[in-house]
Amino acid sequence: MRIFEPHAHMFSRVTDDYERMALAGIRAILEPAFWLGQNRTSVGTFIDYFDTIIGWERFRAQQFGIHHFCTMGLNPREANDDRVNDDVMAILPRYLEKDSVLGVGEIGLDDQTPKEEKYFLGQIELAKQHELPVLIHTPHRDKKKGFERMIDLIKDSGFPMERVLLDHGNEETIKITKDLGLYSGFSIYPHTKMDPRRMVSILKEYGMERMIINSAADWGISDPLLVPKTCIALEQAGFPDEAIEQLVWDNPITFFEQEGGRLDRAELEKPANIDRRETWDGNSVLRGQDPEKY
Amino acid sequence: MTHTIPYPDWQATLDEKARTFLETARERVAENGAEVLPVLFPQLPRRLGREIPGSGLAVVQGRVWDWGAWRACDLAALELVEEAEIPGSMRVDLFLHGDMEERLMAMRTLVPAPVTDATIELLGEAQRTNTVPHFEAAICDSNLLVRALEHSAFGIEDFNRMVLKLAFIDLPLSRVLQATEHANEDLSRMLQDLATEREAAGRAVWADTNRMIARAPTAGTLARLIGGLEHGDDRQRLAAAEGMAALPKRSELAELARERWEREPRPQIRTALEKITAP
Repeated sequence: MRIFEPHAHMFSRVTDDYERMALAGIRAILEPAFWLGQNRTSVGTFIDYFDTIIGWERFRAQQFGIHHFCTMGLNPREANDDRVNDDVMAILPRYLEKDSVLGVGEIGLDDQTPKEEKYFLGQIELAKQHELPVLIHTPHRDKKKGFERMIDLIKDSGFPMERVLLDHGNEETIKITKDLGLYSGFSIYPHTKMDPRRMVSILKEYGMERMIINSAADWGISDPLLVPKTCIALEQAGFPDEAIEQLVWDNPITFFEQEGGRLDRAELEKPANIDRRETWDGNSVLRGQDPEKY
Repeated sequence: MTHTIPYPDWQATLDEKARTFLETARERVAENGAEVLPVLFPQLPRRLGREIPGSGLAVVQGRVWDWGAWRACDLAALELVEEAEIPGSMRVDLFLHGDMEERLMAMRTLVPAPVTDATIELLGEAQRTNTVPHFEAAICDSNLLVRALEHSAFGIEDFNRMVLKLAFIDLPLSRVLQATEHANEDLSRMLQDLATEREAAGRAVWADTNRMIARAPTAGTLARLIGGLEHGDDRQRLAAAEGMAALPKRSELAELARERWEREPRPQIRTALEKITAP
């Protein structure tokens, strides 16, 4: 089974994760720009982070046979921070044109403040200008209200619904989003938010169309193998292979595919080329091993 | 600023969409200057393509480069940076905050330009980062490395380190135009030490080692060249023969070369050996 993992923060994961993910069939990863666990105090740290996810992190994934892409954006938590918000908006246009950047994200609402709304709408405009889809983070608290508010904002902005992925959904939010023409994302976590068993139930009820699942693996208690584990749960529940492939391969590719050739389906047919003689910024994933043997 | 017009009709292979994009990009640069380059640069490979539309050596005011290394996106990048009269700081910024492709274009567009502080800074990045495509774009298929010696901040020690890195990543010496003219004993020692280290580890030695060291022999050079004539690898044997042919006192080795010639099965190596024995 080929898997496109459409939401994993590999920046905060180790090489063992890449190895296990590749062995479990994960052929491509999309890494949304996000909050790093504590607030940044200047735009320079965003620049370095953005450079890392288009540079070193992409290289690191490739060294394990995985194609790496990302989305760029000002996350809602730091949209509230005047030390960085305007400056990050100013640097985004150059990053939104990078080859490996497939969308604007993750953006959205968290505490649901006026500032979050301002920068959310500003980034919807950037997505229009750069002809990119948007990956939207939804609030962990007061989620239903946050979903409804974001849907209203998107509708008012005139942004096409089929280019919207509303992430971190659950049994409640799918009732709101199922008929809107947007993509519904579900982050499957160990013990919280959404688990494989509940995901199977949702998919039984609503089908595979415009559904996307991910692990949202990050620096917290999370599991980068939860997409392949959910595939097994779906298989056990009697879903045919074609339906599972639609969920974990076709849907995310169709969503992130766009004019201009940044995501080449044909290229994804093969694992990324592993060449451990290569380096990025003088660095390699090897620690003294002979690149010709390891 | 003198504009380096790429060879005529380089755009002939572009489709209409690509031509239109380039035209619009030029207009944006003409209107806004270099500040739009960070947004335009990342688009060039996917909009213009990575095909190499032509070939041929360019020689402009002592600057030499091979168009055969230039992809359509590199040619477009050159036109845009020249149109924008790009400041050195922007060249460095395009490299430091660029992805793989942008970094490559930032390096390659240095080649036809005068050597400035930015050139030296970026050559330093090529040396430090050790990323093969960027290193190639900076110093291969042109004489930029040799021209850099004209700059007061780039000395023969810097040149030697770059050639040593070339050996380390196993790129052909022939791609660094005019490099052999700056052979020196210190470089020969560095290359010989690298070769010895590789041999001790059972790893391959840069095939061009013997070509370079023969041009500035130092202690151990002659023995290494003579030993090279018996190497089991054809490339190493050829390099040893060519190196010996370049030695200042090659006539002293004529007897050895003749003896090897009789046993040498490869015509190309036999030809090189004949040059050693020639009066």
